[in-house]
Amino acid sequence: MTALESHSPRSLPLLRTAAVVVLVAVGFFLPRLLGGTSVAYSTLTTIAIFAVMCYGVDVVLSYLGEVSLGHTLFWAVGGYAAANLSVKYGLNGWSTAAATIALCIIAAAFLGAVTLRTREFVFSLVTYAAAVVAYEIAFNWDAIGGSDGIVGISALKLPFGFTTYVGATQEDLWPIAFALLLLTLGFIARFRRSRLGTTALMVQMNPPLAASLGIDPRKVRLAVFVISAPITGLAGWLYAYQRAYVGPDMFETYFLVMMLTAVVLVGRRILIGPLIGTAILIAQQNLLSLGGDWNKIILGSVLALVLIFWPTGLIGLFRRLSRTKA
Amino acid sequence: MNIAQQIVNGLVLGSGYACIALGWTILLGVARLVNFAHGQLYMLGAFATWYAMTKLGMPYPLAIIAAIVALAVLGALMQSAMMGLVMTQNLTSLMIVTLGLGYVLQGGSALIFGGNPQTLPGTLARAKVDLGSLWFTWQDVLVLVATLLLYGAVWLFTQRTRFGSVIRAVAEDPKLAELFGINAKVVYLLVFVFECGAVALGAALVAPRSPILTSMGFNEVIMTFVVVVLGGIGSIGGALVAGLGLGLFIAFFGAFIAQAYTTAAAFAVLLALLVVRPAGLATK
Repeated sequence: MTALESHSPRSLPLLRTAAVVVLVAVGFFLPRLLGGTSVAYSTLTTIAIFAVMCYGVDVVLSYLGEVSLGHTLFWAVGGYAAANLSVKYGLNGWSTAAATIALCIIAAAFLGAVTLRTREFVFSLVTYAAAVVAYEIAFNWDAIGGSDGIVGISALKLPFGFTTYVGATQEDLWPIAFALLLLTLGFIARFRRSRLGTTALMVQMNPPLAASLGIDPRKVRLAVFVISAPITGLAGWLYAYQRAYVGPDMFETYFLVMMLTAVVLVGRRILIGPLIGTAILIAQQNLLSLGGDWNKIILGSVLALVLIFWPTGLIGLFRRLSRTKA
Repeated sequence: MNIAQQIVNGLVLGSGYACIALGWTILLGVARLVNFAHGQLYMLGAFATWYAMTKLGMPYPLAIIAAIVALAVLGALMQSAMMGLVMTQNLTSLMIVTLGLGYVLQGGSALIFGGNPQTLPGTLARAKVDLGSLWFTWQDVLVLVATLLLYGAVWLFTQRTRFGSVIRAVAEDPKLAELFGINAKVVYLLVFVFECGAVALGAALVAPRSPILTSMGFNEVIMTFVVVVLGGIGSIGGALVAGLGLGLFIAFFGAFIAQAYTTAAAFAVLLALLVVRPAGLATK
């Protein structure tokens, strides 16, 4: 199912809305349905945060068809912005989120502009190098945390007029993570139907057609890259509050491999694909963990094997199996 | 004299960068493929050499050969698995697959070799040469000489032999090359095996200078990127000059500005170059 085919039949808008409402309600109460324990809350909060992180990469990889290996940079920008601004200046969650969005857009615009005239693999190479170099800077620059990072980030405070929502426990953070996930899904759904989203898809699927319409694929790449960055950044922002700590480990290759695997596992260009992919992978790592090194081997192998043997992901595999049976 | 010593250090560093980048230069320039597992292959080459010397008791030259063979076999396996993507020139998927395989190599090496830093035993890296106020080690001399010889050999091979033009024909148009009776799959396989063997050799030569860890490789990857792009993608002579130039720049930057930010400085050079000359320095 590509974004172009995914327009639902207009005859059933009510049914569709009702289904979405039911799904959202079930999703919101999912931790309680799973027992309401703090493990259930923290696991589902982590899945929501990581899924949002993956959607940033999804925008670039699925709709533009290019590879950003630098999204760990935006993930870390979100985490570091939240940690530094809340610990040093006592800013609330809205301000740190706004700073995250602004910084991510600036960083992405800079990287995108520098690679504007280069070939596609140079873009990937530069984004990858940017993340490694940012790690070196974060590790050595004591003013933003240095090698120890920043410990003891206070609870997330979101003032609404005269009351303030405080995300002190995992249970309190769940509604925020869930809301962020819904916002992201809504944004991606809109993006798929937007002019930029359809143009990006055309550039990927039919470059000659795009060229004949006078579209500059490099400018499309820049625009898509810039709007993808704050998505991953906001996930990092919430992750900082969830862990109450940020450090150079936010640049670990783990996050990069996780983002790419979650996107390709279920299948590209499927709206809830990255969410399901993230849930499967986090479930493996939390519930069926074989230890850090084995988990690396599993995650990396899943990524390589899916792309080599089932480039269309689990959905494509499922379709092929059901077709051979029929 | 500090400046002269920094020039020596720069040549030492630069020959190492050029040596490690040789495989990538050939892979990207001649076969138009990328390999994001390059850093992990470097790590594995260093650990294979270390394992052959300390656990199997091989002398250094034999251990180098063992590391090259081990990584060449691994490279053949990797490339065979990716052959479908290679033949369809699916660069997007190849980048991600090699990144995933690199992550597998990192996890696997941590399981096999453990998480502790190791040092490659050897006498060359500790044999200091003093020339007046200048000093370097015999290992440094070995790296420089080996790098120059390798680049010379590879340049002659790709420019002056029939097989060199076969590789370039495949890179230009794999389907057309197959019409002329060239087996493109074999050519791609050999080029990738060469990349893996070359990075093993580079690792065996360069790694004795510092402790080795299974989590290393990122720094080497960045330097390789900079060398390959700076040299003009695929230019063998360009890569050698770029490697030595980058080494000199890093030596002076580290000595006079900030040792901790040398990778960031190399990256800044890369960005500046991409803005000024997106296709690299060697192009006109």
